[in-house]
Amino acid sequence: MDASVIATASPSPRKPGLAARLAHPRFYCAVLGLALLLAIPLAINSPFLTHVAVTICVFAALASAWNIMGGYAGQLSLGHAVFYGIGGYGTALLIQHFGISPWIGMWPAAALAALVGAAIGYPCFRLRGPFFSLATIAFLEVTRLLAIHFDWITGGSAGLIVPLNPGWAWMIFYDKTNYLYIAFGLLIFALLVSWWIRGARLGYALTAVREREDAALAAGINNTGVKLRAVMISAGLTAVIGGFHAMYLTFLEPATMFSLPTSIEIAMYALIGGLGTVAGPLFGALLVVPLAEAARVWLGASANGLHGFVYGTALVVITLTMPAGLVGTFGKRVSGWIDRLPGGGKVAPALAPPPVRKLEGTPGETMLEGRDLVRRFGGLVATNNVSITLKRGEILGVIGPNGAGKTTLFNQLSGFLAPSSGTVKVRGPDGQLVEPRAPDEFARLGVGRTFQIVQPFGKLTVLENIMIGAFMRHHDVAEARAVALRTAKLVGLEDVVEVEARNLPIGGLKRLEVARTLATEPSILLLDEVMAGQSQADTQRMVQLIRTIRDSGVSIIAIEHNMHAIMSISDRIVVVDSGRVIAEGEPRKVVQERAVIEAYLGEDFVDAQGV
Amino acid sequence: MDILVQLIINGILLGSMYAIISVGLTLIFGIVRVVNFAHGELLMVGMYATYLLGAHLGLHPYVAAVPVTVLLFTIGALIQRFVIQPLLGAEEHIQIFATVGLSIALINLALMVFGADLYSLQVPSVHTSLRFGGYSMLVGQAVMLVCAIALVGGLHIFMQTTPLGRAVRATAQNRNAALLMGVPVERIYVFAFGLGAACVGLASALIMPLIPVTPSIGSYFVLTAFVVVVLGGMRSLYGAFLGAMIIGLVDSLSGYYIAPDLKEVVYFAIFIAILIFKPTGLFGLGRGTE
Repeated sequence: MDASVIATASPSPRKPGLAARLAHPRFYCAVLGLALLLAIPLAINSPFLTHVAVTICVFAALASAWNIMGGYAGQLSLGHAVFYGIGGYGTALLIQHFGISPWIGMWPAAALAALVGAAIGYPCFRLRGPFFSLATIAFLEVTRLLAIHFDWITGGSAGLIVPLNPGWAWMIFYDKTNYLYIAFGLLIFALLVSWWIRGARLGYALTAVREREDAALAAGINNTGVKLRAVMISAGLTAVIGGFHAMYLTFLEPATMFSLPTSIEIAMYALIGGLGTVAGPLFGALLVVPLAEAARVWLGASANGLHGFVYGTALVVITLTMPAGLVGTFGKRVSGWIDRLPGGGKVAPALAPPPVRKLEGTPGETMLEGRDLVRRFGGLVATNNVSITLKRGEILGVIGPNGAGKTTLFNQLSGFLAPSSGTVKVRGPDGQLVEPRAPDEFARLGVGRTFQIVQPFGKLTVLENIMIGAFMRHHDVAEARAVALRTAKLVGLEDVVEVEARNLPIGGLKRLEVARTLATEPSILLLDEVMAGQSQADTQRMVQLIRTIRDSGVSIIAIEHNMHAIMSISDRIVVVDSGRVIAEGEPRKVVQERAVIEAYLGEDFVDAQGV
Repeated sequence: MDILVQLIINGILLGSMYAIISVGLTLIFGIVRVVNFAHGELLMVGMYATYLLGAHLGLHPYVAAVPVTVLLFTIGALIQRFVIQPLLGAEEHIQIFATVGLSIALINLALMVFGADLYSLQVPSVHTSLRFGGYSMLVGQAVMLVCAIALVGGLHIFMQTTPLGRAVRATAQNRNAALLMGVPVERIYVFAFGLGAACVGLASALIMPLIPVTPSIGSYFVLTAFVVVVLGGMRSLYGAFLGAMIIGLVDSLSGYYIAPDLKEVVYFAIFIAILIFKPTGLFGLGRGTE
């Protein structure tokens, strides 16, 4: 393993006091940098510079808002101007018709945008990459055309002039400096929201959903739910900024308020700065906006199209040479320098993890029950009337040749596949047997599962991977971190907690798979070939681990091809072949059954052995 | 009744224009698996090229179609080689941004070179009206319909019968398996992108005498082309052809019966509905968008 990776990525401080946080160089550097954005234009006091600063603030804030949906949640919207326009028109129309101040009017406009965002997002989330983007473009086009058509509301193509009542109450000023104060405030607000989400449970959940939908579901994350939250926050924030920008522009027309180029521009700043980072959108805007505005002024109309040409070319060059953006490419190095400043690098002591969830109940009662499970794929019957019961405190081994239907059975027992017919019942925390529907519901009821083909969140560190699981029962970040550390120690990953998961060897990934599931503190654990690809020593360790987990009260089903291991740990064995249960019982007895040997080794072998 | 028939004729003629544009987009998506957001700008480039050849060398646009198609093939191949190829392994959003960036750069390049003015090519022979039984169409529109049918038919024969076509189909179906069978996948991609762009080249030469060119003409057509391609199931040439006819008809009929400025709302609504409810396309001809 690359030692430098481990060394540079120091764990960020956990629950430091407020004073310690303010004294951290990352904090005071950010404050100083942001203050310059306000101080320079105030000191020089040229209308042009003020205009550039306002534009930077507005677009950096818009890009930050976009980034919550496009970067964190990975939903690449190219129609974000819908929300910007709703904010602008909503705020302006509330002034015009109801005399409501923009300070108040921007909030109902934001609420409307959030609702529209949810209405657009909900049906479109299942669309993949470019099709999601296309759908958002289509929504934008429809909105723009409707805004032109219904001119009795919006003023149509002729446009709408914001009522000009100067003063703070109506957010209209002759002196542009006042706009700068508000724009700066909005930028800080957007950055704070973005920063808060990044470090909160929601941020981790969004990353998980973006990277691996299945693994996120297995960690109890409601995929659609968290994406909807991201879209609604992003849309609402965009609308607030749109409301302010309308007051700044004082003239609205559908072509500029619902414009595709603006939508692309917003996304572009986030990409250039670094998708999914807090500071990226700001840096993107800081880099590009002054260039574009300067080109507009110096070259004027003679260079019609030049700034757009620069935008487009920059975008292509960035994707080809620096797809991670400014922050993604240089961020680690720069934050390393910053951490060396006075006050940096301090790591607060780790929090003591909260006690492990107590699992109580009558030993031997049914924990998980699949009854008459039939699952068809077209003409293939992958499980044919399989019934399986897991009792409290036991380890149930599931064996069978390749293609027998073991994983299909697991997928039904964990909610990832709905059975064609049959039922799955789970004993929930209240002691009742219930019939959950969605995989995340299974997870929250206490069914933890691993995937045969490992599903790590590749770009997150090992610790963060485990935290995603821990978040299911621990909403506080520091607490989840403590739980994740404890789990890492339990499975033997404590030395690599700060390594990015994609750099782990397969044995480590298998253990990470178990760790992430264990961090959800399941009462029922489904292990799908966790020993495959492990060395002899690792297998021994895994066997020990599974026993330890069982002794803590967890009931376990394990699919395994490693016969020696599965025979030694299982209390009971179920043998599956061709989608049916062909034998069930004590390990020693099961392996002597004719049907089992036949399934594994063929009829001829059985006859030759004379069993 | 007469109006309805004329509207249907108009719709089919309009549809054949969308068909020629969309066929190229379908090829690129179906084979290279990249959604080319700069497709409309290729059309714009082709139209300016046709205009220049016509206005300065006096070439008839139907003659100019040959060099323009070759030019567009070359541009397409270069884009694939130098922009798309390096990004094939990259994440999807990077590919989207790359073609979006290309689109913005080309629009603004045209704005710098030609300005925002309309350029049109007056070709009387193309504008001659054909009349039959009270209905009418322009020669240029009739040529478009014939070319659309010939293009789809020709591509079908090419794909099904030639060794190169077979290699292209193999690459489209399974890149790795094709690679293992000795198909030079990267060169096939370059060829496929070039071919898709060449179709647009043909389209631009046919459209130029009918519609004036502006830097932003591509954005208008590309969204329609996406609607058509999604409607047709993303990877099927016939799907794209039928999808284009449907959009042509919707365009023509809703422009008359609903409101001229809302016809796009109607087919964008269809587009969104298809994406959401029937991602394999209207006829289930494609593997869909999921």
